[in-house]
Amino acid sequence: MGIIKKLPVYSEKIPGGAIVTTSVEQVLNFAQAKSLWYLLFGTACCAIELMCTGASRYDFDRLGMIFRASPRQADLIIAAGTITKKMAPRLRTLYDQMAEPRYVIAMGGCTIKGGPFYYDSYSVEKGIEHIIPVDVFIPGCPPRPESLLEGCLTLQKQIQQRKLGDWQEK
Amino acid sequence: MNNEELKAYIESNYASLMTFCESGKYDLWFEVKADNLVRVCQKLKDDPELLIDYFCNLGGVDTTENFEAVYNLASSKKKIRIDLKVVLPHENPSVDSVQTIWPAANWYEREMWELYGIQVNNHDNLTRFLLPDDWDQGYPMRKDWDAPDFIRFPDL
Repeated sequence: MGIIKKLPVYSEKIPGGAIVTTSVEQVLNFAQAKSLWYLLFGTACCAIELMCTGASRYDFDRLGMIFRASPRQADLIIAAGTITKKMAPRLRTLYDQMAEPRYVIAMGGCTIKGGPFYYDSYSVEKGIEHIIPVDVFIPGCPPRPESLLEGCLTLQKQIQQRKLGDWQEK
Repeated sequence: MNNEELKAYIESNYASLMTFCESGKYDLWFEVKADNLVRVCQKLKDDPELLIDYFCNLGGVDTTENFEAVYNLASSKKKIRIDLKVVLPHENPSVDSVQTIWPAANWYEREMWELYGIQVNNHDNLTRFLLPDDWDQGYPMRKDWDAPDFIRFPDL
C-alpha cells in the first residue's frame, strides 16, 4: 500500500548488529502513528461499521489500531454515531480523561453536522466540533470500512508530519 | 368479547362517562373528560367483564387547538384492547395521574410532561429523564416549538 515510508535513518553495521542514528521526532511520530489505540465509543449505527472494520475481513489491527475500553489507555476517539445533547458532556469528559497526545476522528454524518436525519431534532448535537477538537472527518451514513481505513491512514499521515511538541500547544 | 360487543357493553354501562369517538382499524376509541379520568380507569380495571389490567402506552398529541392524552389500555385476561382520549385545553393543560391504578404509567406521564408540557397532578416523581437536566428551552414535541440550532431543509 505504500503507506509505510522509510524512516530517514543512518545505519552502520557493526559486528553482532548495527548502530542506527535518527531523530527523536521521527521515532516518536513513527511509534505514535503506528500504535493508535482507539476508545470504544460507538453510539449508533456507525459503530456497526467500526466493529466490521475491527473484524477479520478488514482487520484494523494491521494498522496498529487496537480498541481500548478505558480512555486512560486510548490515544484516539472514533466518535462513531449520533451524539445527543445529553451525551455531549460525557464525550467531553472522556476526551478530558485521555492522556495527551490525543486525537479525534468524527465518523459519519451525525458527528459532522447533526446527520442526514437529525438535522432538525431537538436532542441531537449539531456536530461534535464544538465539543472536542476534531482531527479527521469521515463523511458517510455510515461510512464503509474502507472510508474508515482511509480516515485512519490520513490521521497517521498527519501524525507523522507533526513537529515535536506540536501537541503540547493544543 | 369482540369490538361490537365491547362497544355495546361500554355504551350501555358507561354512557355518562365515555363517549364513543372513532373506531380505528383495530381498537375502539373513547373520549373521556379530564375530571373523570381516574374514576373511569379505576372502574375499567375493577369491572369483572373488562378487567383492564395492562397499561400499554400513553401518548401526547398536539393538534395546535388543544392537547390530547391518548391512553392505550388492554386486558390480558379478557383479550381486549381499548383506547381512551382526553382532550385538554391548549393553555395550562393538566391531567390526573393514573399511576395509582397502573404503576407503569409513571414513566409515561413523566415523558408526556417533559416533552409536551402537560401537567400531571398527583404524580410522585415528576422529574426529567429524557432531556438534559438543565434543559430550559421549553417542550420540544409541541408544534409551535422551535430550536435555535435547527438546520433548515432548503426549499426546493
